[in-house]
Amino acid sequence: MSSRSDPLLRVENLKTQFFTDAGTVRAVDGISFEVYEGEIVGLVGESGAGKSVASMSLLRLVDSPGQIVDGEITYKGETIFGLEEGPDGDLHEREDMLTNEEVRTRIRGNEIAVIFQDPMESLNPVFTVGSQLREFIELNRDLSSDEARREAVDMLREVGIPDPAERYEEYPHQFSGGMRQRVLIAMALACEPNLIIADEPTTALDVTVEGQIIDLVDDLQAKYGTSFIWVTHDMGVVAEICDRVNVMYLGEIVEQAPVDELFYDTKHPYTEALLNSMPRPDRTVAELDPIRGVMPEAINPPAGCRFHPRCPDAREACKRIHPENREVARADGQPHRAACIKHDVFGDEYEESVPLEERAQETAASATDGGESEGSGVESRSQSGSESGNTSKAGSQHGGDDRE
Amino acid sequence: MGLLRYTAGRVVQAIPVLIGITVITFILANLAPGDPVRLMLQGQEVNQEVIARIERQYGLHRPLHERYLTYMSNVLQGDLGHSIHRDRPVTALLAQRAGPTLMLVLSAYAFALATAIPLGIIAATRRNEPTDHVSRIVALIGVSTPSFWIGIVLILIFAIQLGWLPSSGLVYPWRSPDQYGYSGYPELAYQTIRHLLLPMIALGTLQMATLMRVERTQMIESLQGEYVKLARAYGVPERTILRKHAFQVAQLPIITIIGLNLSTALGGAVLTEYVFNINGIGRLFLEAIQSLDYQLIMGITIVIGTMFVVGVIITDISYAYIDPRVTYGEHD
Repeated sequence: MSSRSDPLLRVENLKTQFFTDAGTVRAVDGISFEVYEGEIVGLVGESGAGKSVASMSLLRLVDSPGQIVDGEITYKGETIFGLEEGPDGDLHEREDMLTNEEVRTRIRGNEIAVIFQDPMESLNPVFTVGSQLREFIELNRDLSSDEARREAVDMLREVGIPDPAERYEEYPHQFSGGMRQRVLIAMALACEPNLIIADEPTTALDVTVEGQIIDLVDDLQAKYGTSFIWVTHDMGVVAEICDRVNVMYLGEIVEQAPVDELFYDTKHPYTEALLNSMPRPDRTVAELDPIRGVMPEAINPPAGCRFHPRCPDAREACKRIHPENREVARADGQPHRAACIKHDVFGDEYEESVPLEERAQETAASATDGGESEGSGVESRSQSGSESGNTSKAGSQHGGDDRE
Repeated sequence: MGLLRYTAGRVVQAIPVLIGITVITFILANLAPGDPVRLMLQGQEVNQEVIARIERQYGLHRPLHERYLTYMSNVLQGDLGHSIHRDRPVTALLAQRAGPTLMLVLSAYAFALATAIPLGIIAATRRNEPTDHVSRIVALIGVSTPSFWIGIVLILIFAIQLGWLPSSGLVYPWRSPDQYGYSGYPELAYQTIRHLLLPMIALGTLQMATLMRVERTQMIESLQGEYVKLARAYGVPERTILRKHAFQVAQLPIITIIGLNLSTALGGAVLTEYVFNINGIGRLFLEAIQSLDYQLIMGITIVIGTMFVVGVIITDISYAYIDPRVTYGEHD
């Protein structure tokens, strides 16, 4: 993290949406982050926050009916995704954007590799572990079949699989969950990528095995210098492994900070809530404080700040203002960004508005706030707020909360 | 080797099944109305003494269980008895008729597989597009239409209306061309195919329709597998994913369906042989039932039952061979 020259990967205002019969699901709604060489960047949030869709968007692997609709993804100066406005005012794919074939041959595997959540399902049951490793190595590196085989066996040894030459010939079902996840790590590293996306790689594993895998990745990361995007919902894992963290809520990044900053100087109430809902060795609490309510669906995100219906600090202004992720502090020359209007950089709107206390009031108020036009412009109104009908749906969302 | 022991185990397990088949058919055949001796005499008036003599000659005067045991000991020695009606050994009759039936059933399966797998894959990759809908309708028609009806329609169109193909009989490639008066082997091969085409389609359509639907479902499921996602993420071309990664996994249930559908295929063969006038086991079976030829009915039932059991065993073994997750019973 020494030199802040050019990032390895830069994501700007990425939006990925799913066009379903029920409406447009805004799975990823304008996120921006960078990954620098050699660092492990966390992407944290509850299930459904859009972490996995965001990480798959980086490889342009979003399954239909999903589609990347806006934003820019640059990797080592190459444009994985980029749009520009054409003469007719519509958005078009940029000239320099890689074609599907180029993304497949130049990016997937050899530049950006992935490790998936479920090691039980990720390996093909009818091929030997070795043949799958060898296939991916041959595809992504300039090696002959024999060399790829040798490399595969070496990599299996490297990730701590005993008797790698024998295990090479075995099928996935003959491996335990932890061993299979080691195979997937070997697979990722063997392709010699510069970036590995680890999508909840330890979620399906026992806690003891999880610890081993994290230690293994830590060691290998130090040895190979590979950058990681570590997708997880587990703050404990984040603390253990990440250098910088992006906290996602409902398709947006709400806080972005170096890991220590995030834990000791938390700036967003959602991050705070996430931390309070898990046991921490540095604090003794009588009982854990789970986040109240459930995350709304990304099909009808609440107007204003998306977290406000669940936020303990929410005030009236939070229902109107949809804050962007702004720098609220600096630590070691790195920005600490948060998307919460209680911070001074967002003006004094928050200070002047009344707290949202009674849920009944909240419901009643939200039914009318669509008509109000607060032009004071601390922050542009939510992108979604401009769409008709959205506010009233957000209101019904509150109604849903009431019943719980 | 595990596979060998597994095979032996499956064969041993099949023995009780085969015994069950013989017991049930033996009892049913003997309980059925109609007296074989009187049937053989074809209404001639004879005295009791003659009837008793004939009964003794064929052992019909002894109790059922004794007759069953005698019969089974003969079966184990390869003797399926003697057709009273036709006055010929059952084994000889079966040997003569087995070729056409095997040829028909195997070619129907070949036709079904050759069409169902590509069509199923196409339907899976174009899910919910017009191609998929068309294939669904074709499959539905195929599943719900009896083979003899398809056979009759095929004859009406291709044999009678268009006159392109023959409507009855088969040409056997194992005979010499001179027997048919053909110029040589090329013509023999050509005629074999011409004669086989319609009955093969008539019998194979049901299998084709079933297999196509299974193939489609399996491919869709397989293409959604995490291993396919992983392969994509590592830059494997879509073509390879389809042909190798998704395909291999999707074929496992197909094998099961083939094995289990053997019974419907053999049942369909009876009717198809009748419609197309093919001298196979199926037609022999119908004729045996019509003439209450018990020895022949028993013999054919045992042979068809054995064929089915063998088919299922082959299915299991090939499953174990193709799917590495199936253990041979030694890891459990």
